[in-house]
Amino acid sequence: MQHLLNWILWTPALGILGIFLIPGKAHNAVRYWSLLVTAITFIMTILLYCNFDQTVPGMQEFFNIKFPWIEQFHINYSLGVDGISLPMILLTGLLFFLCILSSWTIEKSVKSYFALFLMLEASVFGVFMALDFFLFYVFWEVMLIPMFFLIGIWGGENREYAAVKFFLYTFAGSVLMLVGLIALYFASGSNSESFNILALQGGRFGAMTVKLFGGDWNFGILVFVGMFIAFAIKVPIFPFHTWLPHAHVQAPTAVSVILAGVLLKMGTYGFLRIAFPIFPEAAVYFRDAIAWLGLINVIYGALCAMAQSDMKKLIAYSSVSHMGFVMLGLAAMTTQGTNGAVLQMFNHGTSTSMMFLMVGVLYERSHHRWIVRPDGTKGFGGLYTKLPIYSIVFIISMFASMGLPGLSGFISEALIFLGIYKEFTSITVLALIGLLIGAAYLLWMFKRMFFGEVNPSIVEYHDMNAREILYMAPLCIIVVLFGIFPAPILNIMKESVGSLVTLLAKFQ
Amino acid sequence: MELGLNYLYSITFYIPECIAILTMAGILFLEVIYKRDDSKRVLLKIFTFSGLVLTFIALLCNLDLPTKNIFYEAIVIDRFSVLVKIIAVIAALISYWYGLYSRDIYVSLKSEFGILIVGGLIGTMLLASANNMLTLYLGIEMLSILAYPLAAMKRMDEKSVEAGLKYALYGGLSAGIMLFGMSLMFGILGTIQFSEIAARIASLDVSQKVILLPAFLFFFAGLGYKISCVPFHMWTPDVYEGSPIPVTAFFSVVPKIGGIAALVRVTSVFFTGENLIQYSWVAILTVVAALTMTVGNVSALGQRSVKRMLAYSSIAQIGNILLGVLVLDTIGHQAIIFYFFGYMVMTLLAFGITAVLSDQYGNDYFDRFNGLIYRNPLMAVSLIISMLSLAGMPPLIGFVAKFNIISAIVHKGFFVLAIVAVLNSVISLYYYMRLVRLVVFKMPESSEKLFDLGFGRQALFVVMAIFIVAVGIFWEDLYKFSEVTNQIKLAH
Repeated sequence: MQHLLNWILWTPALGILGIFLIPGKAHNAVRYWSLLVTAITFIMTILLYCNFDQTVPGMQEFFNIKFPWIEQFHINYSLGVDGISLPMILLTGLLFFLCILSSWTIEKSVKSYFALFLMLEASVFGVFMALDFFLFYVFWEVMLIPMFFLIGIWGGENREYAAVKFFLYTFAGSVLMLVGLIALYFASGSNSESFNILALQGGRFGAMTVKLFGGDWNFGILVFVGMFIAFAIKVPIFPFHTWLPHAHVQAPTAVSVILAGVLLKMGTYGFLRIAFPIFPEAAVYFRDAIAWLGLINVIYGALCAMAQSDMKKLIAYSSVSHMGFVMLGLAAMTTQGTNGAVLQMFNHGTSTSMMFLMVGVLYERSHHRWIVRPDGTKGFGGLYTKLPIYSIVFIISMFASMGLPGLSGFISEALIFLGIYKEFTSITVLALIGLLIGAAYLLWMFKRMFFGEVNPSIVEYHDMNAREILYMAPLCIIVVLFGIFPAPILNIMKESVGSLVTLLAKFQ
Repeated sequence: MELGLNYLYSITFYIPECIAILTMAGILFLEVIYKRDDSKRVLLKIFTFSGLVLTFIALLCNLDLPTKNIFYEAIVIDRFSVLVKIIAVIAALISYWYGLYSRDIYVSLKSEFGILIVGGLIGTMLLASANNMLTLYLGIEMLSILAYPLAAMKRMDEKSVEAGLKYALYGGLSAGIMLFGMSLMFGILGTIQFSEIAARIASLDVSQKVILLPAFLFFFAGLGYKISCVPFHMWTPDVYEGSPIPVTAFFSVVPKIGGIAALVRVTSVFFTGENLIQYSWVAILTVVAALTMTVGNVSALGQRSVKRMLAYSSIAQIGNILLGVLVLDTIGHQAIIFYFFGYMVMTLLAFGITAVLSDQYGNDYFDRFNGLIYRNPLMAVSLIISMLSLAGMPPLIGFVAKFNIISAIVHKGFFVLAIVAVLNSVISLYYYMRLVRLVVFKMPESSEKLFDLGFGRQALFVVMAIFIVAVGIFWEDLYKFSEVTNQIKLAH
């Protein structure tokens, strides 16, 4: 049990070996094997949740793992879990499991697909567990390799462009983080704690200066900016969001789900784990800017979503908008705001995954995603009469994404607004408009697709099959359950978020 | 005793070079026993391989010697130089191996190819150990003169002949300029011994120092040409493109590490005091390094031929390595050696795979790589690993190498340069991924499996790919091995 984190991290990696041992054409064996591997991993994340001590702020000593890796540079292989990373680990375990189910219909190079998928899972777990900055960086970058191939091989028509753009953008951000982490290593005395994310926390770099272009610059602020860009590209924060619509539209369904559901959270997780606690002064210094950027994300993302006629693009932009709420919650730097942000990360992970999965279900039948085709005719219409189960599940996902009271999105958005209202009143009011637009574009899409005359092209579609219901059901249950009773998630993050907020409060 | 190291005693520290020289001479003699078009020449191959391997072993034995000045201070043997030679000998070995398979090297010239490769290796060894200007010049010329025929090896091919001629013209010119710089330096300083130069510089007055700086610049032209840094890089793409691929592979590692080693020694021996000349030298190197990276990467973006792309990429990589030179300390030198270990494996792997394709198709345009993964997964995966590593993706050796170099310069406070370096690796990612994209995303023209590599080369590619990954994860041992224990400063 002490090595649970190791098991969670390395089970998918071992699964890859298993895939290569399965003989050539046994595609179903590969699928069932991957399902088994992700199921075991998911069960272990549940075990982690059950053994998690909710009263402890900070890292859970019991689960900590630490081995020296490169002693000369004081780099350790150290993993840990706290209330901020646990929701993300749970989300990762769940979504990868469901995505394997939704990838059942992949027929092109099945082995490689599932192998890359498992590699992606391992690296994402690594990012959420790493307590060593170097290790964090390695996982952060390794994640790009499977993503590149997953988008580029199994994606849509314009997949190569999307894959390369995604890769270059994220890489450009993360190399700045690399310089930042090296600078941090030397600034903190290049000793045994210099790559330890926890030991670096607490605002040690606020007063340091560096000479650059003949002037003195605040070290904390410079490095914070580098890290900010790295994480902002991942979130993505306006104006670094331009890779996202391409990547989402071109990626296969399951990869879109992982991208929206988990990978975007790595950006905000970076803020929570690294940027904010290590440079609290800089975070406070840039607080207004972060809030305004969050607001731009909310409004701009929603407006862009409104203009889309491609379902996937619409949902991609809605992700931009929803991640804006997370940034608002972070900028609030209050208990409710930060709790709301972490909860929103989790809830957006489930609700947007539902949307993408639903689009995928439809796409498998129609092979197009147009709400309105470029020539002005409707892509769908009257789906409600033909696909009742699909419609009901779609309604649940849509309302969850919209943040309807009683569903999970509402709780987190309400918490964020509660947290930020006192700090940035005008921004709160403006952000509420974003909610309104959010409802508008989703309902508009729904109207055009599900109501009205039955489009002749949809007559032959069959309703959701058992496998599709199987992977949508858990998400529906979670969305409803956490909409009514969010305590199971809120309780685990409470203490950790509390200590982060206390730290930030010292510098306000 | 130190000064009394007479020739006979000196030779005991010079065994690796002696073995290499004997190998070179031995090939000449063995050549005679074969007919002109005999394609087997088993004995010759075994002889060359064992000669190089013996050189390698002898170098390993020399690794832990204390610093020695031999041949009346003409040559220095220290850990740094031995490490450089080790890398050079491995690269020569692998290039020779490629040469045996390659169709670009005519059957009748295989043994000449061996002679020239070993000769070039000896030149690099001289350069790495050079302790006065004459030895340095000797090394440069040995390396260059043997490189001209190497470039023109495929003598029925216009491009190859052109490459040889171009190389010779550039080489001759830059060697001349270098010699001119050296004569100026000798005129001002009155010595050719590296060990005395630092002391002499300290005693110069300002006006003499002002003359000395252009002299250093001329001197730098010669070395800059060898390592092909901007603005002395113009010859590189043409020569690389024209030369047979095994030769290109050789050029991209062996002369470069020789040049860098000489540059490192010159930089750390000449400029010991913090004075005007050192500042100017570091400033020049900073600009040169930044330009080399940027020009190399930007030019690589639009290439059609993979070899040419790799040529520009190697220019860019040299820019990265120059960063290690300008930090002027042992951490930087350690980073350079480590970088070269990675660079050697990554580049040779890429060239090896390009050579196979080029032999098959007669050219190495990008579209020849289409769908390689469906035709030969082993080669494709090795190529992907090599490309990702060259771009600096963790957990591969290329990343660790860049990490070490960048941490060395960040440690010295060159933040802007560090950012230039990492942004450059973003540019480089684009063209490396361009190749990966073709290999993986494009469909092959025909689905038949191609390229019968044979066990030897398959094993070589696999070993190199595994090296890139394994050392990328567990790099502590290689990093320790690359350590340059004693500061490269000379006694007396």
